[in-house]
Amino acid sequence: MNVALAGLSCVVVAGAVVAVSSREARAALLGLLIALLGATLIADPLPGPLPIAARLIGALLACRLIAISIRDEAQPTSGSRLGWPVEALIAAAAGVIGFGTHGLGAPGDGPAEAQAAGFALGVLAAAPIVSSRDTFRLGVGAILLLLGGSLVRVGLGGTPSDLEELVTSGLVVGLGGAVGVIVAGGRVALGRFVIGDDLVAEAGLTARRGAGIHIRSPRSAPGPAAHLDTAPSERTRR
Amino acid sequence: MTILPFLAIAFGAGAASLLTRENGRLSAWIGVLGLAGAAVAAAAMSGEGTLAVGGGELVGSTYLRLFTVLGSVVGLLLALIGMATLSHRHAPGVMLAGIGAAGLALAVSDPRTAVVAATAGGLVGIVVTVVEPATGRAVVVAMRELRALAVAGVLAILAVAWIGRPLVELAAEPAVFGLAYLGFAVAVAIRFGAIPFHFWAARLADAAPEVTLPMLMAWSPAAFAVVALAWADSSVAPMFLPNSLPLTAERAIVVAIGAVSVLLGSLAALIQDDLEHIVGYTIIADAGVAILGLAALDPVAWEPARAWILIFVTVRSAFAAWAVAVRGAFGTRRIAQLQGWARRAPLLAVALALVAAGSIGWPGLVAWEARAKLIELTLSGPIVLIVMIGALVPLAIYVRLAVVGVARPSGSVQAGSDELPRWPEPLPSRPMVGRSDIERAFEQGSHLLAAILDVIWTVPAALRLNRTLIAGILVVALSALGVMVASGGLGVVDAASAAPGEVSGPSGSGQPGLESEPPGPSFQPVPTPP
Repeated sequence: MNVALAGLSCVVVAGAVVAVSSREARAALLGLLIALLGATLIADPLPGPLPIAARLIGALLACRLIAISIRDEAQPTSGSRLGWPVEALIAAAAGVIGFGTHGLGAPGDGPAEAQAAGFALGVLAAAPIVSSRDTFRLGVGAILLLLGGSLVRVGLGGTPSDLEELVTSGLVVGLGGAVGVIVAGGRVALGRFVIGDDLVAEAGLTARRGAGIHIRSPRSAPGPAAHLDTAPSERTRR
Repeated sequence: MTILPFLAIAFGAGAASLLTRENGRLSAWIGVLGLAGAAVAAAAMSGEGTLAVGGGELVGSTYLRLFTVLGSVVGLLLALIGMATLSHRHAPGVMLAGIGAAGLALAVSDPRTAVVAATAGGLVGIVVTVVEPATGRAVVVAMRELRALAVAGVLAILAVAWIGRPLVELAAEPAVFGLAYLGFAVAVAIRFGAIPFHFWAARLADAAPEVTLPMLMAWSPAAFAVVALAWADSSVAPMFLPNSLPLTAERAIVVAIGAVSVLLGSLAALIQDDLEHIVGYTIIADAGVAILGLAALDPVAWEPARAWILIFVTVRSAFAAWAVAVRGAFGTRRIAQLQGWARRAPLLAVALALVAAGSIGWPGLVAWEARAKLIELTLSGPIVLIVMIGALVPLAIYVRLAVVGVARPSGSVQAGSDELPRWPEPLPSRPMVGRSDIERAFEQGSHLLAAILDVIWTVPAALRLNRTLIAGILVVALSALGVMVASGGLGVVDAASAAPGEVSGPSGSGQPGLESEPPGPSFQPVPTPP
């Protein structure tokens, strides 16, 4: 095991845990930035200085684009329902599985640490991707999912070419821009991060998920976002 | 000429157009000029040759050239139609960036880089899905779009990386090939919005500008599908040779997705009342045939699958343009309110007939033969007939639209604009005040110059007065292009049949290339796994 790569993988996973579990949008964005910056360096051998620079600039630009969309935002995101300790444990378990299954059926051309970090990020991204109605959390989940995929790719196929690193940095910037557009659009249209059942139903998705989708009960979540977590019928009654 | 000028123009002008979104007119014209420049650069591109860039390779091919030329020209015509019908002005920039990313994905020799480029190209669609002023519905649709792109992208990245290594080592684990193949095929289905992954695509028509639908639902996923075809041809198909892996379950799933998309997509389009929804579901139905091409894993399917992809994206773009022009002329997308549209807009009636001819075709036409070949290669028994009939269901849609079009014009159609050419009111002629012959000669000369200037100055007003006529002409041109491609014109068959060659990957791992021109042995058998 390469100790430096293992430490870097831990930093990346820690950043991802903060990104998916923090209710403070800026803290979550900082965690995402740490994950993006750290993932650039998880490779053996390291990419050249230019590809690394491209990836770092891409990560900074992507986070800047998201930061613009959450400027002056006081409301918290919906955060993780499980809490950061559980997220961290799940990520650790996934990382162990990724490390132990390095190569997935054949010797991997890259470091096992990359695959471990990729598995951890993929697991952390699952909940926001599958069930989140929070524009910010969904965006963070999408970025982490693709970042995890690219880390697994490094673990399986080795260090990407300079061209692939350049295209990957373009993908990261595009993701940042797309997330920024969605978050900003959500704030303009709804004034919040979380979309309600009524909008989801209006957009064509039936309300088959029912009340189980709500993030917290009104009792346990006092504060600006509390009313967003209640069902439309409850809001109407109040 | 290499692909670099095309990429520079597409990405440069696309970025400039999107960055100037605040000024809609400037953004639109930058996009239109960029699309025209991209079309010229694509046409000047060499159909062969390799360009080494950053440890990777950009490989030219006739298919790449045709794809980018058609994409640029279709994007240009759609952008002009959008401007003529007062549609969204951000669309040209999105189309430029989308076709640029598609070109990059097709040119890159390493599939691991290609899938990243194809995934990045889909992201630009989100920019136009959440248009200003943003609505809650648009945000929900964009969230679904992002979710679909991310899931499809990671599936493809993992699939390509998984078996992007020397095949002999992985041959000990044959299930790997099936899972990787299934993952990439599902990723393609998600990108196309194929059934049952159509939830995000079905509502896209409600949020995204109409002229961008072909780019979001057809062109960008089509590049993804072409990358998948080339990857499957070089990495999975060798394992599928007789006495090798049957991949029965995996292929059955992919075939089911394709066949169900053809059948249910066509039926869904038939029962819709909204033109944009009809366009969306017909794209999904045609994409089902492309997915069948991915399921064939047969060298015989290589040419019809790639030809079909080019044909259906071009013809469906023409259908989308027709829908945009109809809405621009009559202010509604509801079929129930469009009675008599053909009487008021005969050019659009001609365009619809061309779209019907290009999308349905007839035996002997390249489009017909490609579709039939793909269905026959992947299905058997009576299901072949059922899916073939399902693929012809759009004919009923065109007949329905034509019947509605020749009925007595409804109120919306009466209130809309027709295609009769109009000219602005001429300015009153100036009286002659000169007394001598010389004075009169000077005066007549100056009046002549003023009259010429008056005519020039009325051109913008004339363009505004004839929006419906201009849109009709552009839609007819796009539909004719669709028929040309569907009949095998522009070298579609030759470009589609170019076999993928072997190009060394960036890491020197012998990664098969995607598009290099010299036809090589595409399906090299590998040792049978123990």
